[in-house]
Amino acid sequence: MSGFKTLSYRAALREALIEELERDPSVFVMGQDAGPFGGVFGVTKGLTEMFGVERVFDTPISEALIVGGGVGAALAGARPVVELQYADFALIAMDEIVNKAAKWRFMHGGGQSVPLVIRAPEGVVGGLGPEHSQSLAQYFWSSFGLKVAMPATPADAKGMLKSAIRDDDPVLFLENKSLYNRRGPVPEGEHLVPLGVASTWRAGSDVTVVAWSRMATVAAKAAEVLAGQGVECEIIDPRGISPFDLDAILASVERTGRLAVVHEGPVTGGLGGELITQVVERRFSALKAAPIRIAGADTYVPQNQDLEGLLTPDADAVTAALATLVQSSR
Amino acid sequence: MTDAQLLHAYRIMERSILLDQAVLRLIEEGSARLLLHSGRGQEAIGTGVCAALRDDDMLFYSHRGLIQLLAKGMQAGPLLGDFLGRVDGATKGLGAGIVHAVDPALGLMGSSGTLGGGFVLSAGAALGARKLGDDRVSVHIFGEGSANRGTFHEAANAAALWKLPMVWLCENNGLSVSVAHREATSIEDVADRAAAYGMPSRIVDGQDVEAVYDAMADAVARARAGDGPTLIEAKTLRFRGHYEGDPQTYRSKEDIAAAHQRDPLRITAEKLAARGIGEAQLAALRDEEARAMEVAVQAALASAKPGPDRIYQGLLAESAAA
Repeated sequence: MSGFKTLSYRAALREALIEELERDPSVFVMGQDAGPFGGVFGVTKGLTEMFGVERVFDTPISEALIVGGGVGAALAGARPVVELQYADFALIAMDEIVNKAAKWRFMHGGGQSVPLVIRAPEGVVGGLGPEHSQSLAQYFWSSFGLKVAMPATPADAKGMLKSAIRDDDPVLFLENKSLYNRRGPVPEGEHLVPLGVASTWRAGSDVTVVAWSRMATVAAKAAEVLAGQGVECEIIDPRGISPFDLDAILASVERTGRLAVVHEGPVTGGLGGELITQVVERRFSALKAAPIRIAGADTYVPQNQDLEGLLTPDADAVTAALATLVQSSR
Repeated sequence: MTDAQLLHAYRIMERSILLDQAVLRLIEEGSARLLLHSGRGQEAIGTGVCAALRDDDMLFYSHRGLIQLLAKGMQAGPLLGDFLGRVDGATKGLGAGIVHAVDPALGLMGSSGTLGGGFVLSAGAALGARKLGDDRVSVHIFGEGSANRGTFHEAANAAALWKLPMVWLCENNGLSVSVAHREATSIEDVADRAAAYGMPSRIVDGQDVEAVYDAMADAVARARAGDGPTLIEAKTLRFRGHYEGDPQTYRSKEDIAAAHQRDPLRITAEKLAARGIGEAQLAALRDEEARAMEVAVQAALASAKPGPDRIYQGLLAESAAA
């Protein structure tokens, strides 16, 4: 039971769904093409065959129904896992996510639970254009009744999805499309990763690098290069935005004195601005340099894949920005 | 309806009117700062609907839903506490002029603040009951104005497609806030839309509690048997403004006076009289309800106001203990 196996991020998510469907008869899965077809990204492949059409099934093209129906089913006592075909479609269901899933408990006095998981594939990849490629976590940091999870590794994908399904609060589960084929070790047997606990990918004394989802993998590559140049990065993956492990980041900034935030969505109004503000408000005196944001461009995602590639920072860009930050304040 | 059911409906109508009056008095006295969306004139709907439901059937109530909450079994006390923003209120002091009371034990599931937001939730609740293998029915009461939201169509399509155990009940009072039905909706009867989704529909006199009950009892039986949803349109009348204080400049005095000619309370009293339950018995019931309401008002006024921490409670499961 103590071993590891190698799984893709996609297979890890699928394994989480299988285990939770087996464990709890109140869990069901629905979404556009999530039934026999197996989901456009293949995460639910074979699940209808295994569990029957009552447990894993297709919905109409009706995002308000998919999310709002999930809220209602959760209120009735079920544990729905709903799939939005692309995270972008969350914007069609904002009333259901922000006003219903997130607020129903609060506005009705606190006596109900909405144990809903909304799976949403996000991210800049594949020439899918401006309405199928967004990284939109920044829209949800002020949805206080909603949890937002963003796994970066196969192990986290599995362990966090299982935790999300068991959680009594609604969870927006953002899967990065470019990670679906990423392979990595996943613990054998029951594997749960708590929501909202940051993961330190690498310890280092020169700069705290906070990076989410795919950008954590990019930051990790940059850190390898920088280690050869005598710059030690501490890479922290918050694994989501709510709950948020600010303490882990503050403790790291106290050690390193420098902060860089790396995320895929646009710089403006993005995750970096909020996180840097929170750190500066609390640990200004620990900082040796102004914190920096390394993030997506302030524009929409073009369909042309050559241009799409310019949108988000690559390992070279992250390496250069981190090197400048550290060397200019030594 | 049996004599007992009809008399209970009358009692709830009377209680609802007393609750409206109590809230208006609290506003006038300056005890409460709130909006009241009176359901006066629409009492036969909530009482007729709930008479056909089991305690565990799930109700998503409408914007003018006080009568529906009372009819499903909620006491007036917690509702008054809500209006006053006291800790003994149904939302433990969060308070609201548009009530957001819930009680899962009574099947009271809540109400969407965005009009039309409840369609998909109520369909989802029916789906949830189906997935859990129980035979609860989900009911959604909504105004005709909100039936123009896209959510109506998304939910109606899925409910009919999946034969969900639910009943849609449209309270058509002809006015969405200030806008007349004909100015906002392309057809006269919302019920006509049911055909587009392969769903049966009925149009009933919303001032007649027995007409509402009969249609509802059939629809609930159909839903519980696994035969799918029904859309009932109850033609009704709004006696008062959209909210208390609404000058109703969009409506003639004749229109308002005509509405009062079809008071569900009086229509119910006449039905009871025809069954030998006369004015003396109703007067005794009214006294009893009036005394109980006064006790509830005093208890709500004596209840504490919430502390400042209340605004952070109930956001997430671990913060729910209010």
